[in-house]
Parts: sequence; C-alpha cells; structure tokens
Amino acid sequence: MVNELRELMREASGHPPQDRSDIRALVGSGRRRLRVRRATQVGASALAAGAIGLGSMWWLNPTPPDLTAAGVPRAEGPVIDLGDARPAVEGQHYRELTSYTNEDLNADNGQYFDGVTDDGLILFRDGPRSNQLYPRFALLDPATGEKEWLPRLDTEQSQMWAAELSRERLVLLSPDATGAGGGPESALAAHVFDRSTDSWSTLQWPGLPDTDGPWGARVGPDGRLYTKVPATRTQVPEGGWPMGPDGEADDSGASGESFDLWSVSLNDPSDVRDEGLRVGSFGFDGDRLVWTDSSNGAAGMVHVRDLDDGEETSFDPRLGDRCNLLGFDVAGGRIAMTQYCGTYEGGVRDDRIQVMTTEGEEVITVQDSGVDAGDLVAGGDFLTMTAYDRATGGSYVYDFDEGRLLRLSDGHSPWAVGQGPTPGDQFLWNEPSGTKVPMFGRSGATVHLGELIR
Amino acid sequence: MRDEAAYVEFAQSSRDRLRRTAYLLCGDWDQASDFVQEGLIRVYVRWPRLVRNGGELAYARKAVVSAYLDHARRRSSTERPAEADPTLASSEDVAVTVATREALMAALAGLAPRQRACVVLRYFEDLSVADTAALLRCTEGTVKSQTSRALFSLRSTLEESPSGEPAEGAVSW
Repeated sequence: MVNELRELMREASGHPPQDRSDIRALVGSGRRRLRVRRATQVGASALAAGAIGLGSMWWLNPTPPDLTAAGVPRAEGPVIDLGDARPAVEGQHYRELTSYTNEDLNADNGQYFDGVTDDGLILFRDGPRSNQLYPRFALLDPATGEKEWLPRLDTEQSQMWAAELSRERLVLLSPDATGAGGGPESALAAHVFDRSTDSWSTLQWPGLPDTDGPWGARVGPDGRLYTKVPATRTQVPEGGWPMGPDGEADDSGASGESFDLWSVSLNDPSDVRDEGLRVGSFGFDGDRLVWTDSSNGAAGMVHVRDLDDGEETSFDPRLGDRCNLLGFDVAGGRIAMTQYCGTYEGGVRDDRIQVMTTEGEEVITVQDSGVDAGDLVAGGDFLTMTAYDRATGGSYVYDFDEGRLLRLSDGHSPWAVGQGPTPGDQFLWNEPSGTKVPMFGRSGATVHLGELIR
Repeated sequence: MRDEAAYVEFAQSSRDRLRRTAYLLCGDWDQASDFVQEGLIRVYVRWPRLVRNGGELAYARKAVVSAYLDHARRRSSTERPAEADPTLASSEDVAVTVATREALMAALAGLAPRQRACVVLRYFEDLSVADTAALLRCTEGTVKSQTSRALFSLRSTLEESPSGEPAEGAVSW
C-alpha cells in the first residue's frame, strides 16, 4: 500500500519545472540573515518588536541584557550602551521629511526608498513583485509626494544597490546573472541613469574578475567604481566553530578575509584597473582612502592614504580578541566599525560599534547586545545604528558634538525598506508595521526619511 | 569567515531534492522554491555547526518543513495543486499519469499540514517514525496517529476522486 504511495509521490514530484533561483543570491541572503540572526529569533518568538512600544503592559516590557553579569568584557576607551539613550523628539532633534508604509511584505515585495539624490529626491523603487517581475524606479519629491517615473530599466530581475545618486547620474549595482556563478563571488554590473538624457545604460567589464558582490563597492572621489575581488577566505577551524552558550555556532575571533582592490570606469567597459592593494574593508573620506587589512573577522591594521600626495599612515584599531569586523564606514574624519565579539551567558551578545578618528584616536564605542549597522551620516557628525534586542530594539542616532545618544524608535524591522546614500543631514530609518507574523516580527515596515537638526 | 564554497556545493546538490519534498508539501512549484530558499538560508546561518555535526541535509529538510508549516499556520490550508502542465499531456499514457498526479496532489491538499508533513516525510523522504517525530518536534505516537489518519483520509479521497480509473486503480491501499 505505502509502496504505491511512495511511487506516486516520486512520480508526482519527478518533473519539476526549471528552478530559476540563484544560489549567489541565497548566499547574500544568508549573510544578511546571519548578521541579524538574533533579530530573527526575537521575531519568531511570541513578542514582536513592534509590540515593545506597549510599555505599560509589564509582560511586554523585557529587561535590557546585563552585559556585565553575562561576563562580557568592556571595550577600551569611552563606552556607552543603548540604555544611555534618551528619546529623540521630532521637531527638536530631527524633522521627518516623509515616510512610506508597506503593510504586508510577508506576502510579496512592495515599495522601497533606495536612497536620496544630492538634490533631495528619493529613489523610489516599486517591486519586483509577483505580478510585476521587474523593478520600476521613480524620483519622489518628499515635499510634494509627486513621483517622476523613470524609463524602464531593461535588465534581468535582480536586486540592486545604489552606489551614487547625484544630480547628474544614478548608479545602481547588481550581481551579473551571466557571471561565472555557483560560488559566492559574482560578476558585477552597473546600471547608470543619465539624468540629462533620461536614459539607462548597463555596464559590464570583461576584464574585471568576479567580485565579492555589489554591496561593498563604492564610487571614489575620481568617479571610478572601486570593488573587492576575493583574495583569501577564512577557513572553518578543524572540528567546526565552537558552540556558544545559546547553542549557536560561535564564529567570533575569526581570522578574517582579504580582497584585492580593483577599480573600473563607469563610462568605459574596457577601463579596468587592479589597484595593487589588498584590503579587508574600505571607504573614502573625501580624498582619502581608508582601509583595513582584513574583514569579516579580525581587522588587522587601519590604513589611511591621502590620494593627492600618496602619504600614508597606519594604526592598530585595537579590536577585542574575539571581535569580527562586520561593517565599516568612513566620513568626516571618523571611522565606524561594527563588530561582533562573541556570545556570553544567557545568549547575551557582545556587539560593538567602535568609532575612531582617522588619526587613530578612540571617539566612542557603543557596546550592547544586538547593536548593529553603524553608519556615519551628516558628513560624519552623527552615527546611526539599529538594535534588535527585545528591550532595546529600535533605531538610534549618536550626536558627536553633543555627546548624546537618541532613540528614534522602539522597534526595527528586518525588512530592508530604506537604504542607500542620503545627502546633507538626511538619513533613513524604519519601524515595524502591519500584523504580527512569525520570523519577521511584523508583516510590514514603515520607512522614514528624516533630517537631523543641529 | 564561513566555508561558503562548501555551502554553495551543498545547496546546489540538495535543492532539487528539497524542492520535490517542498512541492509535495505545498502543491506548488514556485512556492516550493520559496520554502527551499528559506530553508537554505537557515542552513547558511547555522552552517559551521552543521558541518561539524554532519547534519546538513537533515537540518535543511527540517528547515524546509518548518518554513512550510510556518506558512500553513499563517494561512488557511487552501492551496490546491497547480494546473497540470499542458506540454506533458500529449499522449494517453501521459494523460493517465497527469490525472493520477492531480488526484494525489488534490488528496494531499486535503490533509492538515502536519498530517501532510508526516506522509511526505515517512513515505517520500523515507524517514523513520523516530526521525519524523524528531523533525516535527512531536512524539512518535503523534507521528503514528497523524500518519494513520492521513493514510485513511488519502485512501478515502482518492477512492472518491472524479479523475477516473487511473487514480483509483493506482492507489489501492
């Protein structure tokens, strides 16, 4: 009897249509999920991040993690935690320029803010969705709400990241579906929208080796696109990573990986250059190139090169022994390094955003369980970050001049509804919205575009 | 930091099999791909530990089933099999096969999600009662009773199937 059922099921599932999913995209999703894995666990619990705002209900008001009690070592230099934050006040600390809510991203993709142009227009993306397989882009005026739809970008369905949103051009990057494929590396493609001619062009560079992906590429001060080509990878130690107190594999203290820095022209597909420099993370601060020896593990040294005269300085950022460098941003003479430094008793994480000057002086370290994604905004005068712990979840901003940490929201959505470059003192953040769902906490998210008040 | 080459190799080698399992669970190939994608992302997150313990495929299977059950909990279980691929129904033999497949998928769609998972895991994945119970995080007794009810229901549904003799004749248990 059951043998016939077996045969029927094998036959019924034996002629699958072609699977068009992309393993490289899977790896990218895995990397992002890894970075917010605690958020995922929180979201899968009965308490959604969006419910934290109901503070009067005592059972929904969890206690912030106690890092000291869990045995987390204190970072060097000036340290603050998320408990030091005061609520941000709209009109006093920031102005909200506009917002957009997707109620149900669990069912399908929706609409997104992919950054803001130098002249203040939001790059608004619609889709791709199940009934619209290609993304549509518009420039949205936050003051009037009017959208100017751009001509269709004729390309493979692919996720894109904005690398430059200037008055002259919009530069979006995507992994190239025609690349070698299979591995985590991917060929790179740039989609450039010329705002003067109202037209798209897509560039690929035959001479460029497969890269680490579009998310780490940056446009330099010379207008060229700089990208990382994998050179060395961290190997999993013999026997695998040790298991942390929370039962998860704990890969803190990894040795890090490195990349060869290449640059390409955004006009000429034959113009490809190996910069002859091995880096971990990198970024540009005006006419200075700042990089680490390695990333996604130990950082090594930080190097700062003046691109005008070639003068170079280096310093040891003194990351903790177990700290993996996961995020890197440079602006206004400051460097923000987002790190994961291990998991301790009770699942308490040692997460840090360490800010140093480009001269190697410690500025501040935000150290807490679940703090992530340190980004320098407003020319490097402010640091934005997100947090995923039940008690402290939300978006935050640190004012370097005032030395104060402000909490913008009581919840952060794992849906990436707002990302990309922003001009002046503008910045993007999000909040959960919609109904409660497993895995992602809430079914939707609201993206906010704000402007800091100095 | 992760051995991504090994992960990619695993994902490539396992996804077809996982997709078949997911299809039998949900009755829709596109949705099956979504469940497999979700499952493989979960595998990526836990990859180092899985590699150490050698449980990559078992965890991937569990993740796919969990993604299906999570989805089923969110929605009423109203999925019905996708329409048969017309390109396959070009001869009488193929037509019989398609009808049988439709009957099976319709019968599976009539099961409660966990009953359906029990049937697919026991008789497609060939998992033991103990392994099925471990994957679904329930007792072996629950697996036995759920499977028994599912088989009874499948038999009843297929015997009443309007798809004709092929389906009835094909499922005689």
